[in-house]
Amino acid sequence: MSAEAVSVKFQGLAALSDVNLTVLRGEVVGLIGPNGAGKTTLVNCLTGFQRPTTGRVIVAREDTAGWAPPRFRKAGVARTFQAGRLFRDMTVAENVEVTGVGLGLDRKTAHAQAMVMLDWLGIADKADRTAGTLAYTDERRVGIARALVIPPAFVLMDEPAAGMSDAEGEELISLVTSIPGKFGCGVLIIEHNMRVIMNVSTRLYVLDGGRILAGGTPAEVQANPAVISAYLGADI
Amino acid sequence: MSRFQTPLLLIFGMVVLGGLASLIGSEQLNFTLTEMLIRMVVVIGIYLFVGNSGVMSFGHIGFMSIGAYATAWMTLPPEWKQVMLTGLPVVFQDNTYPFPVAVLASGLAAAGVALFLGIAIMRLSGLAASIATFAFLAIVFSVYSNWESVTGGTSSVIGIPTVVGPWIAVGFVCGAIVAAHAFQVSRVGLMLRASRDDEVAAQSSAVEIVRMRLLAFVASAFLVGVGGALYAHFLGVLTTDAFYLALSFVTLSMLVVGGLQSLTGAVVGTLAVTLIVEVLRGLERGLDLGASHIALPRGSQEIGLGLALALVLIFRPSGLSGGKEAAWPRKRG
Repeated sequence: MSAEAVSVKFQGLAALSDVNLTVLRGEVVGLIGPNGAGKTTLVNCLTGFQRPTTGRVIVAREDTAGWAPPRFRKAGVARTFQAGRLFRDMTVAENVEVTGVGLGLDRKTAHAQAMVMLDWLGIADKADRTAGTLAYTDERRVGIARALVIPPAFVLMDEPAAGMSDAEGEELISLVTSIPGKFGCGVLIIEHNMRVIMNVSTRLYVLDGGRILAGGTPAEVQANPAVISAYLGADI
Repeated sequence: MSRFQTPLLLIFGMVVLGGLASLIGSEQLNFTLTEMLIRMVVVIGIYLFVGNSGVMSFGHIGFMSIGAYATAWMTLPPEWKQVMLTGLPVVFQDNTYPFPVAVLASGLAAAGVALFLGIAIMRLSGLAASIATFAFLAIVFSVYSNWESVTGGTSSVIGIPTVVGPWIAVGFVCGAIVAAHAFQVSRVGLMLRASRDDEVAAQSSAVEIVRMRLLAFVASAFLVGVGGALYAHFLGVLTTDAFYLALSFVTLSMLVVGGLQSLTGAVVGTLAVTLIVEVLRGLERGLDLGASHIALPRGSQEIGLGLALALVLIFRPSGLSGGKEAAWPRKRG
């Protein structure tokens, strides 16, 4: 999937300017940038929640103009949310089951698929808990299970490790790196922690002020003078 | 077994209620019970949409009105219709249909109207859709109050066969419980509840929210339309203002007091509110204590109901049921 010259303007204010980005199946692509750089806006564009003012989003060689978010998931583009956004009054299993049912499975099959996914994420024992009562890290896992069940072609993860301790974060990130191998999908991951993103990404993009500042392998990005001066300088 | 325990428990409760009433055998009690059970069909119908979708509707009593008049058109004696309802189509004027056919057709009529209305308003955001349902109620009321050749306008329609007693009402309540439960555990029900909890996340789980809401709206209007038809066959008399603000307030209170988010809440709320209203009605008539006669002022019913509603919203916002479904007590492991 790719973004081609995507720009988004909010009442004249440019949130994204001429962004080009590609994610292939089987790779983990990092997306970094300071707060307000437009990372979440970009993910919203790539999943149908934000219509580009100009430019196109292409999924499997199809132009997605006019697609609503459910169509993106049906075409194989899944996402997680920074705020979790679980279905709070439903059980953990039901949370994950919804995706399968939304994609046309009957409840029994969707439930079985959900249990397999929860098992893989190590939270099958909490399947009957109400989602609203979960601890923060488990909430994140349910969000990931919900995105990965009936494996999509691409999964876009908006800061999956935000608010976790270092140890918890690392555990989660190692899980993320195993996604392409296990499910054959491409991963786009927004992450603040520089060390983490350098470790997990096959390629990464640096977004700043709504523009792509640099893109390439972690080594190339780290060596890029524009990135060092604009963003990484203080961090590394 | 555990999957069906909620509808089974609720149905068991209703059958016990019907049994107790027929043991006591008081005509007044049977009347109150039947009216309550018919309202319960309506409240369960409203719950099917409101509880699962999280979108409030102020217009469902409009569907009740549509159902009630539809059954009147089909079951009144032709001689009466030909004189009083001269604008009715000839098929209705010249024929009468049996009760089951009329009730089913009344539900379908309400569902048909809901389909058209829903296509227009289900794409609106939750609050805008709620206000649009209220506009619908006002429109139905105006049309039915003024379309004299078809509805009799503001004068009453009389002579509808009064075939609905407590046991028939119990039967329909059980049917409504089964239907609402089947809907809520269905694929559509699951997707709709997901959209109630989080619209954005539901969409990214491939849920087509507008379509799910529309399906629920139509199914819910069907049950409410059936409830309207039962009401007509219970009272035998129809006036348009029976299906307006007062009844909307009572039925929504029942739903809120019981808890918007569970079928058990719809059932329990109808029982609780009926009990409150009946007690207050009795107190309005007055009690004789020795030599003195004590009575609450007229209007206490409405005030009491309003207070009950406010208290529930303040102290138990998810209703008497707490948003949970009835279940056998489980041993703690």
